[in-house]
Amino acid sequence: MAVAKVSERWAAMSLVPKEEVGLLVDGLARHYQVIGPKQKGKAFVLEKLASGQELRLDYQTSILPPRKALIRPRETMFSFHDNQVETVQDAGPQVLFGLHPCDVHALTLLDQVFSLEYEDPYYAARRQQTYVVALNCTTVGENCFCYLMGTGPTLRDGYDLLLTDLGNEYLVEVGSDAGEELLRHLSLRPAPRVRVVEKEKRLDQVRRQFRQQMEVTEMREVLAGSYNHPAWRELAKDCLGCGNCTMVCPTCFCFQVKDQLELDLNHGQRVREWDSCLLWDYSLVALGHNFRPQLETRLKQRLYHKLYYYEDQIGTPGCVGCGRCVTNCPAGIHPLEVVARLKGE
Amino acid sequence: MANPYQPAPVKILAVQRETYDTTTYTMAFTDPDRQAAYRFAPGQFNMLTVFGLGEAPISISSDAEDRASFQHTIRHVGRVTNAIQRMGVGDTLWVRGPYGNGWPLAQMEGRNVLVVAGGIGLAPLRPVIYYLLNHPEKFNRAEILYGARTPADMLFSNQLLQWQTEKVKVRLTVDQVPNGDAWAHRVGVVTTLFQEMDSQPANTLVVTCGPEIMMRFVVKGLMERGFEASQIYVSLERRMNCGISKCGKCQLGPKYVCRDGPVFAFAELTLLPEPVLV
Ligand SMILES: Cc1cc2nc3c(=O)[nH]c(=O)nc-3n(C[C@H](O)[C@H](O)[C@H](O)COP(=O)(O)OP(=O)(O)OC[C@H]3O[C@@H](n4cnc5c(N)ncnc54)[C@H](O)[C@@H]3O)c2cc1C
Ligand code: SF4
Ligand code: SF4
Ligand code: FES
Repeated sequence: MAVAKVSERWAAMSLVPKEEVGLLVDGLARHYQVIGPKQKGKAFVLEKLASGQELRLDYQTSILPPRKALIRPRETMFSFHDNQVETVQDAGPQVLFGLHPCDVHALTLLDQVFSLEYEDPYYAARRQQTYVVALNCTTVGENCFCYLMGTGPTLRDGYDLLLTDLGNEYLVEVGSDAGEELLRHLSLRPAPRVRVVEKEKRLDQVRRQFRQQMEVTEMREVLAGSYNHPAWRELAKDCLGCGNCTMVCPTCFCFQVKDQLELDLNHGQRVREWDSCLLWDYSLVALGHNFRPQLETRLKQRLYHKLYYYEDQIGTPGCVGCGRCVTNCPAGIHPLEVVARLKGE
Repeated sequence: MANPYQPAPVKILAVQRETYDTTTYTMAFTDPDRQAAYRFAPGQFNMLTVFGLGEAPISISSDAEDRASFQHTIRHVGRVTNAIQRMGVGDTLWVRGPYGNGWPLAQMEGRNVLVVAGGIGLAPLRPVIYYLLNHPEKFNRAEILYGARTPADMLFSNQLLQWQTEKVKVRLTVDQVPNGDAWAHRVGVVTTLFQEMDSQPANTLVVTCGPEIMMRFVVKGLMERGFEASQIYVSLERRMNCGISKCGKCQLGPKYVCRDGPVFAFAELTLLPEPVLV
């Protein structure tokens, strides 16, 4: 894995002027596929950057989360023909450039989900060749609540390089051997002490913009006793069951598997696609039996998984507070507001 | 890197029709080394592939000590299982596994065992029955209650009564007997057998599998008779797209039915926020 603990010799920090950060991307693009934020219409997406000029580090969040670079919305697992099966792998070296702290946290959660007990070979192959250039948040988006979940607005580990916006330049910190390697061909200016102090000052300002509405431990307590709370029925009336919230969520991992057959009925592929527990057929089995036929139970599955079960599964809440589900919910369902309602506020 | 999603070929060695919609297939991996190394515990399942149609989780229904081959008893209900119905001896299927935890055999030592099965639910329990028959010293007394819709729906019909020994009692029931069918046993749902069974709560371990609704009544009926939730083990069915705790589809609370189950002590399930079998 590309991620390692910060050690003494990386204590040196450097500076890159804002107008040169695109050159950093161009330098990396010679050796890696660089995926970063760029503008698409009024929104931002994480996609392959054709050049550093496309990079938009002033983005707030991307529509789809970075997990799409590790497990694709739809991907072929293997192909089969004439009694032969061949695993299909498309992993190559890639840099995820400009990820916010919440999204980097989400990757460390998925690392566990996809390796516990059985290792997912597709995820693992891509992850091994994935480098993370993270970006501390110096502005707070409308729906962000990372501070509350303990996943932002700043990052302590999980990155190879970490950028912080200092106004006219970025402070660059190295988080791993791989990160040091990424900088090897570039000549950056070492950061004087006063600029490092400036970083802390700016990040403190950002932290102060969050309102601490609730503690994570309290969310768990509230949910533990609320499965039959009448508010769920009301929420289910608002929810459209569209599954947008799970598609945009950086920590969702569910997928369904399908076979497709070519017209010769001899060649085919097994493919998998992102799935959503909000969708009616998620828990459907043979003979039409459905374990979660009501939208209410599916909505509960999602929120209990994010804020309750995930922690039992891997020791960390499954919500990183990125706010994407809130932004993309036609009914405006907000995880924190749901918990507040269950609490009776 | 070995790909845990990739199945290996098996050859069908024998086909035994059980009922009009259910068939038992005997199979072995075509690679003899793979077959020789293959081990499973009673209650575990495999993922069976018919390429082009998909994959289905199916319990292993044979004796775990039989190393030359293994069996699946399959009810033909949809795409994959209907395609398997069209296969015969010598045909190739693709299999990966075994997955899941299996029944609590070690806990049967020195205790009485009550097996309650409904319909296709007898398939994952048959390896337990083989275990009891092979190792009479590993338990005290056992009782098998099996219910099916009609006499023609009974699985393993030529074996059922042969399972009776000094230590093992078998009781059968059907929901209904169509006109003209011969039937010498009880009529009624499987829980009607509770009235005549010898099993008592003290020192008894219950293992049960069948349709969700049946297991619900089994658990309820047993608890009314004084059995504790911790004595009752159930095998759950859920949607499964991977079998290896990755696709998420089988999640139940923090548990993955494919990895932490499919066998659960009912007491474990009562702790989950989402109600199961109630
Ligand atoms: C642990 C476990 C053990 C089991 N043991 C046994 C056993 O021993 N014997 C037995 O007979 N059965 C057993 N079952 C049930 C068995 O798995 C189902 O009957 C089987 O999956 C049916 O598959 P099918 O393709 O034939 O049916 P279908 O109805 O065609 O498919 C089953 C499920 O897959 C979905 N599906 C179908 N096609 C697609 C597609 N193209 N894309 C996406 N989804 C699709 C359906 O919506 C449905 O939910 C077991 C189930 C579990 C979970
Ligand atoms: S649940 Fe919503 S806020 Fe939390 S990580 Fe998922 S998309 Fe982001
Ligand atoms: S169960 Fe629902 S909320 Fe949890 S990972 Fe799957 S789709 Fe996301
Ligand atoms: S079957 Fe995929 S997670 Fe259990």
